[in-house]
Amino acid sequence: MKILVPVKRVVDYNVKVRVKSDGSGVETQGVKMSMNPFDEIAVEEAVRLREKGVATEIIAVSMGLPACAETIRTALAMGADRGILVETDVELQPLAVAKLLKAIVAKENPGLIVMGKQAIDDDMNATGQMLAALLGWSQGTFASKLVIEGDHAIVTREVDGGLETVSLQLPAIVTTDLRLNEPRYASLPNIMKARKKPIETIRPADLGVDPAPRLTLVTVAEPPKRVAGVKVKSVAELVAKLKTEAKVI
Amino acid sequence: MNFTFTDEQAMIGETVRSLLAAECQGSHLRALMRAGATHDAGRWRKIVALGLLGSLVPETVGGLGLSACDLILVAEACGHAGLPEPLVETAGIALPLLAALPDSSRAAAWLARAMSGDVTIALGHPVNPFVLDADVAGAIVLVVDGALHLVESAEATLIAQPSVDPFRRLFSVSAPTSAATMIATAKAAAPVLAAAVNRGALFTAAQLLGLAQRCNDLAVAYAKERQQFGEPIGSYQAIKHHLATAQVRIEFCRPVVYAAAAMPPDGGMHAKARISHAKLAATEAADLAARTAVQVHGAMGYSWEVDVHLFLKRSLALANAWGTPLYHRERCAMRVFGAPVGPAHTFAQELRHD
Repeated sequence: MKILVPVKRVVDYNVKVRVKSDGSGVETQGVKMSMNPFDEIAVEEAVRLREKGVATEIIAVSMGLPACAETIRTALAMGADRGILVETDVELQPLAVAKLLKAIVAKENPGLIVMGKQAIDDDMNATGQMLAALLGWSQGTFASKLVIEGDHAIVTREVDGGLETVSLQLPAIVTTDLRLNEPRYASLPNIMKARKKPIETIRPADLGVDPAPRLTLVTVAEPPKRVAGVKVKSVAELVAKLKTEAKVI
Repeated sequence: MNFTFTDEQAMIGETVRSLLAAECQGSHLRALMRAGATHDAGRWRKIVALGLLGSLVPETVGGLGLSACDLILVAEACGHAGLPEPLVETAGIALPLLAALPDSSRAAAWLARAMSGDVTIALGHPVNPFVLDADVAGAIVLVVDGALHLVESAEATLIAQPSVDPFRRLFSVSAPTSAATMIATAKAAAPVLAAAVNRGALFTAAQLLGLAQRCNDLAVAYAKERQQFGEPIGSYQAIKHHLATAQVRIEFCRPVVYAAAAMPPDGGMHAKARISHAKLAATEAADLAARTAVQVHGAMGYSWEVDVHLFLKRSLALANAWGTPLYHRERCAMRVFGAPVGPAHTFAQELRHD
C-alpha cells in the first residue's frame, strides 16, 4: 500500500511571528522555516506503518515555492521514499491544496493519506476534510491512534469529552493530532541517503488545477495586549467584580 | 568556491540542535549535577541513534567517510547546549584517530565497539595535561615514549585532578603497557597525534563558538525580561552595547571557525594556522560572551540559580583544551613568519583546496 503524506513549510514553531506593518500578513523574510509539526507526526506514522510492513512506499508532497523542496527533503530524511513538489508562487489556500492533492491521488493511487490536522501558520484545519469530500473517501480526523486491520483503518479520535474510535474503509484520509506519536530525529545516514531520493517537480497546470485563491484576506493584526491584572482583597470583592465589571456571573 | 554549507550539513546541524534543545536543557544539567554524574545514559542513547559517531571514520571500516565540515555545525550545537556527553570527543577526535591505524586489530576492535555507542574511548594526548572522562570510558589511548597504547580502563590507575567544569572530569592516568597494548609505534603515531591536535582544536573552537552564542542568548533573554525603572534593562545603552559587542565578536569568529573546518586535512602549516586562529578567536569570543552574561545578570550571574555559570565554566575549561592560547599563537606565528604572506600566496593556497 502506498501512503501519501502532504507536508507544509511553515514558520518554525519556536519563532515569534511578527505582523507586517501594512497588515497584509506575517513576516516570513529571514525567518526560520520548518515542517509543520502535525505533518512531522504524519510522516512518522507513515514510516512506522512501513516498518510494520503495512505500507510499501511513502510519498511526501509539498506545494508552494521552490524552497518547499527542503521540507520534502526533511520528510525523506525521516524515512519517506520519494517526493513530489508542486511548484507555484500563488498563495495556496486549503481548497486549492485539496484539489491539487486530489489530482496527485488520481496519479499515484495511494491506499492511505496521512496528513496533519492543521498547519500552525493559519490553523485552518480544513484541507484533510476538503480532500475527503472531493475524493469521496472516509476520513478519521484528529487521530491519536491508528491501526490498519485488513482493508480498514481503525482510528482513535480525540474529540470533546473523550476518545472516539472509528473504522474506516480504505482508501481513507487520516489527520494527525499531537499525541499520535513522537516524531523521530533524522539520523545522519538517513540524511545522507535522502540526498539521493528523487523529488519530482510539477506545476499546478500539469495537474489541470487552477490554484487561484478564492478567499480574500482582509487584514492581519496582532492580538490586543493583555492589561495588568488586579489583586482583590476578598472573595466577596472578586464576586462583586465578576458581577458588575466582567459581567460573567 | 562555495562558502555555504550544503543542505545536508545544515540539516545534520539542525537535527542535533533540535535534539539537544529538547534533551539537554539547564534543568537536565542541574539534575545531572545533583546526581553527581557527568553523563546521561538515556541522552547518550538518543545521540548514538543519530548515527553520528562514525561520521569521520572512513567507509571502508564502517563509517560514513565525511569531512570536518560535515561535523562542525554538530560541534557548535554541542557547545550551545553545553552537552556533557563526549559526542565531539568521540566522533570528532578519538574514532578518527583509531581509524587512522589500519594495521592494529586491537584498535579496530575497539573502534567497532565505540562506533556502536557501547563504549567511549578516552584519549590521553601530550597536548592535554590530563585525560578527560577516563572514569567512564571503556578504554584509554595513552602515549608512552611516543608510541600509542590502548588500555582497558579497568586496568588503569586514575588519579582525579581538579576541574573547573563539573561535567568534565580530568584524570592522571597510568597503566601497564606492553607489546600487546601497543596500537602504533612512535613513528606511526606521530602523524596521527598531529592530526588529532588539529581536529581537537577545531572542534573545541566550534564548541566555544556555540557556547559564546548561548551565553549571549541567555544574557539577551534576561535583559529583555528584567526590569529597572519601569523598563527592561536591555533598553539601556549600558547593557545593550555590551551585548552588541559580544555578538559582534561572535559574528567575526564564526567565519574563522567555518573556514578552518573547510581546510584540507593535509593542509600543512596553513591549515594549522587556520585552526589555531579559529581556536584563539573562539576562546576570546566565548570568554567575552560569558563574562558579559555574568555582568548582565548582575548578582544573579554569580549564583547557581541561572544557567550562566555552567557555560562560564565550560568556556574556561575549553580555553585550555587541545592547546593553550600560547600554543596556538605560536602556531599562527609559524605561519605568519615562516611562510610568504600576501594576496598571491594566500589565495593560491585557498585555490588548492577548492
